[in-house]
Formats: sequence, structure tokens, C-alpha cells
Amino acid sequence: MPDVVIGQQVVITRGSQVAISASDFTIPQGKITAIIGPNGSGKSTLLHAIAGLLPVSNGKLTVLENTPLISSSQISYVLQYTTVPTGTPLTVAEAVAMARYPRLGLFGRPSKEDKRVVASAMERLKITDLAKRHLTELSGGQRQRVYVAQGIAQDHAILLLDEPLTGLDINSAKTIDSIIHEEPDRGCSVVLTTHDLEEARAADHVILTAGMVMACGKPEDVLTNENLTSAYGLGSLHEHHGTNLMLPTEHHLDDHAH
Amino acid sequence: MEWFLDPFALGFQQRALAGGILAGLMTAVVGTWLVLRGMSFFGDAFVHGIVPGIAAAVVFDINPLLGAAAAALVMVLAIELVNRQTALSEDTSIGLLFVGMLALGVIIISRVDSYSGSLTTILFGDALGVTSQDLIVQAILALIVISVATLFYRPLLALSFNADKAQLWGLNPGRSHIALLILIAAAVIGSFQSVGTLLVFGLLVGPPATAALVSRTVPRMMFTAALISVFSVWLGLTLSYHLNTAGSATMAIVPVVLFFIVLTFTRLRTIRKEKVASHA
Repeated sequence: MPDVVIGQQVVITRGSQVAISASDFTIPQGKITAIIGPNGSGKSTLLHAIAGLLPVSNGKLTVLENTPLISSSQISYVLQYTTVPTGTPLTVAEAVAMARYPRLGLFGRPSKEDKRVVASAMERLKITDLAKRHLTELSGGQRQRVYVAQGIAQDHAILLLDEPLTGLDINSAKTIDSIIHEEPDRGCSVVLTTHDLEEARAADHVILTAGMVMACGKPEDVLTNENLTSAYGLGSLHEHHGTNLMLPTEHHLDDHAH
Repeated sequence: MEWFLDPFALGFQQRALAGGILAGLMTAVVGTWLVLRGMSFFGDAFVHGIVPGIAAAVVFDINPLLGAAAAALVMVLAIELVNRQTALSEDTSIGLLFVGMLALGVIIISRVDSYSGSLTTILFGDALGVTSQDLIVQAILALIVISVATLFYRPLLALSFNADKAQLWGLNPGRSHIALLILIAAAVIGSFQSVGTLLVFGLLVGPPATAALVSRTVPRMMFTAALISVFSVWLGLTLSYHLNTAGSATMAIVPVVLFFIVLTFTRLRTIRKEKVASHA
């Protein structure tokens, strides 16, 4: 399988700060790739660069055999914390249908195919019954399902998801998790960021970040005790079920704080 | 019936109505995006910021529309300059230009001795002094504003939704933002002669804010805002005729009063629904 993303000595800066130092990494085609690392380790920065939202300061980033900007029409990116200004009168159906704008341009009328794609995305995310609801009337989990529906309703070869399962109710998390696992069967490559070590272990491919890409490859090769200790710092990992290491949870951090 | 017809029996009264309606239509469309993007403070600063341009135009005897356009350009560029060159928040740069331009306007006005250059006329307009020539210019600007707003509907909706998403969908959010600034400038410049610079702001914010309370989609919000604008202009002029009050100010106060009436009704409806739901 060819790689859909190839990073060679990639450096990404945000303002005057270097968010990712010179890093090499790949993302395989038709697989689920998890990007894991501590807060501020550059996970979202990496997704932004792949999506073409952030330029690469140095090195070479190839996405679908081209620059991220040229390939951006084949990338769908579900952002973390998409904030909708309260008072924006936007229904669920309208928000999902906006994903067809790249195809429709300024004036194009949605075709039957466009409507079918939107309806299918809403059905897959189980939000069809919410179609006429206002975005601000939804729970956090329902809203995240709308944003993922918007993500898959857009034509894409790569689906990027920034912490898609963080803080969701169990139903929304299960629905979105099933979408993540269905997309590769449709020929799409999925890249997601996560704080959950188990979620990363369940992926086909893992990228571990800590201000740079520290390791990239199969979960068993990347998520080693040595790599995790190095990325998260000594003493921040916890023994779990004998041999497995766990990342610090908020509960653990609270314990330390007190 | 006479109560309705008398205020518009004469030519200048009909022109005041036509000018107000054109202003109302433009500001409803542009004001909807202004309210959705949370740019009301910018709008407020902007309508004050063009005062020195109009005052200077009176001094140098050139078309006030050109003076307003020049001041609008200076205002937008200066805000952009402060934003790019400093780490100050945008409201600070807007505030700086707001007070700076208004002060400059008052200084220029203090040296002018004419009715058209007086602060009251510039801020509150002269609805009953609108000429046929003014109406033609206003109609052309209204046509341009409504056409451009239609052209940019999807980019502006995407920008209101999320600027990064707009970028990802290939709908250049920077270009859409500039288009919106130009639309605001055109709507204000095209309306200030009939309703005054300060009261244009009333029409920019009042009808869209009221419409937002009862609309579930952006096109409906725009349409409702346009209806409220036209109604406000008509009722404002009618009331000003019968109560002998200032035309432009009466037009501007109507949508604000309407906002609170609609807000009261929507709140009461929500409370009633919550009561029904809690009893179910």
C-alpha cells in the first residue's frame, strides 16, 4: 500500500514557536492512523499542516503525491471544538449540506447525488431525526456527530479528525468510532488525534509526538514503554494490569495536584 | 385611512419613504452578516468613522459620498495596520479609530458653518431632504450591495460557521471578510444621507437582531430583517409626521423597540413550553 502522507524533515512553526521540529513520518493508505502525544505536543499542528491550513517552514510534506494545498480538495478535516457562534440560525441539515460547497462553488445547485451523500452521512451518524434542529439546541455529542457527518459528506480520500471522541456520551462515541472503522473499507485513509492509549493501540498505524515526531509505525513498535516514557516524561505513566502503561488521566493529575 | 396616507402625500415625504426603504433593504442584508459575525462594535465605530470624510467633503465642496468612502478606507486600513503591527486585541484598534475619526470629524465640523455640514445632519440625517438624485445613487448602491451579498452567500455563511472550515472548503475567508467590509461601507455610504450615519447603525443591527430571535435559517433571517426594516421606516416616518418628531431618529428607534417586544414574546413562549414539558 502506498503512503498518502510522507513527511521528510518537516518543521512546522506557529507564530514564533516551533511546534514540530525536524520530523520524518508516513501515513499509510486505507488505514487508521492515530497521532498521540501530550498536550501541546503538536498533534493538531500536524493535522493542520496535512490539511494545508498551516505551511511547512522547512522540509517536505507530501500529501497524495502533491503539496498539501494542491491536495486539500481531497481532504476532509473535522476540527476540534468547532465553535458555532450562538445565534447563528443554522439547522443540522444545512450544516451537513455545507460540506458540498467545495463541489458546488458559489451558485451550483445541489444535485440528486449531493442530496443523497448528505442524507447518507446524516443516516450513518444517526442524526436524520435532528435535521431541522438548530445547532445550538444540540448536546455536545450530537453536535460532534453533526461535524463528523459534515466531514464524511465532503468528497475525500483522507479524513482527518482532531480528538473526535474526547468528552462524548457513550452513544455518540460508539457511532463515531464505527464511522472511523468503516471509512477504510470505503478506500479512505483516516487520521485522528487522541489522548487515549487504548484508542491508539487499536489503530493500524501510530505517530507519537512530543514537539516532534518521536516514533512512527505499527502500534506495538511505537507505543513501547521506552517511547512513552520519553514522550510523556518519567513518572507520568502508570502501571495498569501488570505490564501495560497508562497515560495520566485528569483523575491522576488531580491526585498529584492535591 | 388618512392617518396612513397623510404622512406620504407630498413628494419629499414619498422620497423620504423610498430612501428609507432602500436604506432598510441594504442594511438588512449586510446587517445580518454583521450580527452573525459579532461585528456590531465595528459597525458602530464605522458609522462614526466616516464623519470626518463627510465633513471634509462639505468643506472642500465635493460629493459627500466620496468623502465618506475615503474615510471608510482610511478607517479599515488603519484598523488592519494596528491589528498587524501590535498584539492588541481587535476591539482596541477599532476603539482607537472610532474615537480618533469621530474627534477629527467634530474638529472639522467646528470650523464649518453650514447646515449640511452640521454634526446633527451628519449623525441623524435629513430624511425629508432626500432628492431624486440621491435616490438614484442609493438605488444603484442597493442593487450592488444585494447582488454582491448574494454572490458571497456561501462564502459568508462558511465564514460565519468557522473561518478554518471556510478555508478548507476553498472559500477564501480573508476575501469574504474584505467583501463584507466593502458591503458594510457601501450600505452605510448609501444610506447615511437619508437616515444619518448614526442611525444607519440602528438599521444595521436592530432588524437583523430582531429577526435572529425568530429565524431558523440565514436566508429567513435576512428576509425577516428586510421586512422589519421596511416596516420600521414606514412606521417611523408615519409616527414622526403625527407626533412631530425627528424622522430619522423615529425610524431608528422602531426596530429597537420591536426587538424588546419580540424578545418578551419569545421568552414567554419558551417559559410556557418549559412549563408544559415539566407537567408532561
